[in-house]
Amino acid sequence: MKNKGIVIFLIVLAVVIVGVIAIDFNSTKPDQQPANPYEYNIDSFTRVDTALIKYRESRNLKINLEEPVGIALHENRLFVVGDQKLQIIEPTGRLVQEVNLDQKPTCVYVSDKNIFIGYRKSLLLLNREGVKIADWNSFADSTVITSIAEQSGIVFVADAGKRIVRKFNIEGNPMGEIEGKSGNDQIHGFIIPSPYFALAFNPSGELWVVNPGKHTLENYTVDGKLRTWWEATSIKIEGFSGCCNPAHFAFLPDGSFVTSEKGVVRIKTYKPSGEFANVVATPSKFKVEGHAPDLAVDDQGTIYALDLDKKMIRLFVKK
Amino acid sequence: MENKPKNSRRDFIRSGTRISMLVTLGAVGAFAAKNLTAEKYVWQIDPFKCTQCGRCATSCVMTPSAVKCVHAYNLCGYCDLCGGYLKPDANKRSTAAENQLCPTAAIQRRFIEEPYFEYVINEDLCIGCAKCVKGCTSFGNGSLHIQIIQNRCLNCNECSIARLCPSQAIARQKASKPYNVKGSFTKST
Repeated sequence: MKNKGIVIFLIVLAVVIVGVIAIDFNSTKPDQQPANPYEYNIDSFTRVDTALIKYRESRNLKINLEEPVGIALHENRLFVVGDQKLQIIEPTGRLVQEVNLDQKPTCVYVSDKNIFIGYRKSLLLLNREGVKIADWNSFADSTVITSIAEQSGIVFVADAGKRIVRKFNIEGNPMGEIEGKSGNDQIHGFIIPSPYFALAFNPSGELWVVNPGKHTLENYTVDGKLRTWWEATSIKIEGFSGCCNPAHFAFLPDGSFVTSEKGVVRIKTYKPSGEFANVVATPSKFKVEGHAPDLAVDDQGTIYALDLDKKMIRLFVKK
Repeated sequence: MENKPKNSRRDFIRSGTRISMLVTLGAVGAFAAKNLTAEKYVWQIDPFKCTQCGRCATSCVMTPSAVKCVHAYNLCGYCDLCGGYLKPDANKRSTAAENQLCPTAAIQRRFIEEPYFEYVINEDLCIGCAKCVKGCTSFGNGSLHIQIIQNRCLNCNECSIARLCPSQAIARQKASKPYNVKGSFTKST
């Protein structure tokens, strides 16, 4: 009788212990915790109305680079830089040529005659065969080159470190600087909180520069005079949010803007006037808190997005 | 001829006891010396693993939490439109309470020069909820991040936040390097 009581007691004790362990185990599982009053859910800002998505991903090209950083497109050839390499790739994905570089590149631009490779503090000029022509080293210590464009023999270099656009002739001689300041109180000089500072010429030959801290795209004359600008600051899909967006941009054949953003990574298009047009790629297509893809566009309006996180070129065509 | 004294059993036990006492004393001394000189460990957050879930505010045994926001000024863009300070739908970029993301107004926004602002954390008001960190990481440069403030932490044997952290961002590390402040602390590859 005495032994029976002890057995029952031990069984009850064992059941209680197992119950406590089970409850404790379940209560500490991250997905079974009570709602957190301090959780800041930004999912609503990443959702996009599907009616706004006018592009579809047609294909992607895997690239053999550990850290791709920049893409350019010229005469049906893709020029991708990363690691310490320049890769020239056909739109089919076939590697045509690979050029070893001395340093890690930051950006690439290709003209009819030349390939411009931006390093952090210098610029490398190659001919179209990938043979070195010159090094441009006349930059400041705090220079961070992020974007290059050329028009009529004048090379424009975006220097995020000094917050200016530098002008050079094709021999590499300095021709002046664009500070982005205007007499009008409405616009400030370039505000570059992080090294995202893009510039490009539109199909009409007009120079456009991103002022990422102001979420503006600004049109300058070749002399550096501000001609016009448009601004789109908003957390909504129509605008740019965060401290430095758009991170990259390119032009469609009709002069519309294609923009890519960091933070909430997405690609969108804007009409030449600056009015929001549609969405190319939603945040769900990219790594959460990933890098903003660099952009290039071909004559047919196909958008080539260099996905730095997935290490591939992603092609988007209109639906 | 002189007889050599023979070791008695009593001598043997006496010597054995002395030796074992010496050995024990030496071992205790070495253990104490090791403990005195050994590296201490503290709990700390890896800001690159942290997913800003907000649990640090409620899971710490301290009230308010020993976890606080810290600011890596060398990474900050000093933006007017700060994703860590302002609510996404703020009607104005101002210090008005309704525009602030922080539930305890622990971030002070100070004007530097047009259009730059400095954001300073008031540690006494911060509860470690990481809402600002989420905003800064998602929309900005990620200069705001959370750390366990060592003079507030009880250094429990089992950190109650580490136990619940969904991203396993909290681990023990040497007390000689008690913080992982971004800028000087970089992501391990």
